[in-house]
Amino acid sequence: MKKEQLILYFVATFFGLLVAGIAFYFFQTTKTVPDNTVKTVVLASPTPTGSPTISLTLDQPQDEQVVSNKVLIVSGKTQSNAVVTVITDTSDDVIVPSSDGSFSTTVNLDDGQNVLEVISIAPNGESMTIKKTVTYSLEEF
Amino acid sequence: MYKKNLLLLLLIACCLLLAVPSVKAQAPSPEDMSTQIRDQLITNIASRVAQLKLVEKRGIIGVVTNVTNTQITLNDLQNNTRFIDVDELTKFSDPNASGAFGISDITKDTNVGVLGLYNKESRRILARFVSVVTNPVIIHGGVSAIDSANYTLNVATEDGKQVTVDVENLTKTYLFTQKTDYIRSGFSKIKVNYNIIAIGVLDKKDRNTLIATRIIFFPEIPSSPKVNSSLENVQK
Repeated sequence: MKKEQLILYFVATFFGLLVAGIAFYFFQTTKTVPDNTVKTVVLASPTPTGSPTISLTLDQPQDEQVVSNKVLIVSGKTQSNAVVTVITDTSDDVIVPSSDGSFSTTVNLDDGQNVLEVISIAPNGESMTIKKTVTYSLEEF
Repeated sequence: MYKKNLLLLLLIACCLLLAVPSVKAQAPSPEDMSTQIRDQLITNIASRVAQLKLVEKRGIIGVVTNVTNTQITLNDLQNNTRFIDVDELTKFSDPNASGAFGISDITKDTNVGVLGLYNKESRRILARFVSVVTNPVIIHGGVSAIDSANYTLNVATEDGKQVTVDVENLTKTYLFTQKTDYIRSGFSKIKVNYNIIAIGVLDKKDRNTLIATRIIFFPEIPSSPKVNSSLENVQK
């Protein structure tokens, strides 16, 4: 096969593809869609839900944490005008958060698993509760 | 020209084929050996570190839903199903048991505490200590009725429950206000609609009655709006 022939084939293929592409483009742009096939989709607005007026997060301790110290620091954040109650199996404490809503206290742990319940109560009575398990153990394994 | 190139290519291919076995036959030098040992050690240490990071000590509490010789299934405080593996090193205990206590003594609906090794990948705990535990029940809600003659309170909770709180001689009662802070108080100071927290144990005869060991009430805070709406629903 001669070189000139090969070049000619390539040029012819290129021009053929170009013409086909242009024809397809014009066909697509001039095509009209009947109105009855066009559907309007309306997204329903989400149902408004009552947002809670109180929030509570605990920085310490971690849930299911195993500690080797009987004195445990409990700290977190809630709204500043709330009252925070920290309850363990044998003791409880009521604290008022600082102006930025942060609070911190210490509780004494019993041997083994301790359930720690922190309840934040807003002035209107709304509350939020976080429950965590903290284990005091000196066992090595 | 073409033949020359072909010959040259064949020659290079032959040289390469001859060179490969000679390289393979070479005995490893001491330097190579030490590098290999070092790489192996690094791999082993990295693998061990990954293993150590994958496992951590954890303690959980839950209610037994199923028990076999090698596994306990629990429903934890967050109501998640947890799988506990048990082996020959696992120790079992129950403070109320008179004699030996083992896995065969653990039955469905028992509240147990588990201390063991949690595998982050499999999300299972290999138990080292399993003990039967009794945790106090905490009721939080609003005072809906007071029976001064019998020293009982009715507490309505946010989930629509009505719990009778039995106040005993040993029950410690506290109140909290912004002015007085957290101080000791008494049953007579409690009024209807106060926000209240009662801690105690459920009566074995009546599971709707809490025998209170501690009570904290908040005279300045009314009961939650959710409690009031649940009360209205109950009254309807």
